[in-house]
Amino acid sequence: MTSFADDPCARCEEVLQPFLDRELSESERALAEEHLALCSYCRRRYRFEEHLRRFVRQAVVAEPMPPELKARLAQLRTPLF
Amino acid sequence: MSETTPETDARRLATEARDRVRFEEDALALADQVYRVARHLVGSREEAEDLMQETYARAFRSWRSFRPGTNLRAWLLRILTNLNIDRGRRLQRTPGLEPLEEGDYFLYNRLEESNQDSADEERVVERLSQDSVVSALSAVPHDFRDVVVLVDIGDFSYADAAQILDIPIGTVMSRLHRGRRVLKQRMAEEALGAA
Repeated sequence: MTSFADDPCARCEEVLQPFLDRELSESERALAEEHLALCSYCRRRYRFEEHLRRFVRQAVVAEPMPPELKARLAQLRTPLF
Repeated sequence: MSETTPETDARRLATEARDRVRFEEDALALADQVYRVARHLVGSREEAEDLMQETYARAFRSWRSFRPGTNLRAWLLRILTNLNIDRGRRLQRTPGLEPLEEGDYFLYNRLEESNQDSADEERVVERLSQDSVVSALSAVPHDFRDVVVLVDIGDFSYADAAQILDIPIGTVMSRLHRGRRVLKQRMAEEALGAA
């Protein structure tokens, strides 16, 4: 594991995933943001990853649940009487 | 000390029936979101539909074990992933844990290298096809895919995914990391041809 002080671009690459998942600690996030504000190389790659995630999500959610399945699930409910 | 009378029994039964109906309605309202995750945890639409029916049948039977106020979507998905494991899927090969040689900037770098124009990030993503994403995701080993699907499609936190899959949060992080890496490698292969 590298640090922002030793190799900021390598560290920024390491924390890319937790950063975009909003799972990074406040202090690490601040260091990453500080570096991203200065480094267009990393900034381009972060933006790409954001677009990629949106693209993946849109690609895979295109298929909605079949209405017949929804009806079958509703039939599984416990009858009231 | 409370005394049981026909009136209190009737009131208790009425309260229980009302809570059950509310639970079932809440669970059904989440079915689209649960299906979206289920569809990508298993290989086919038919399997996803079977799994959904088994999940909802079990959820409606054991509704009393759900604690109101907690995350119902996560509770349903925990049932679903357990049922999926019970189907014997885990008998398949455990994915390899060989070291990952390339970093997280790998896909961007590959796409950028192959691009003659200096396109922006959005244009670089457009080089990928939606079909390639779906087939790349289905090629990710199951253990990794479960986590990728829960976090990237289901929008669950690492902690929720850990609870749903009953694995430590560190395992969620490492599987997510590896799963996304495999996904990107497949997408790069589809977009640019095998390396």
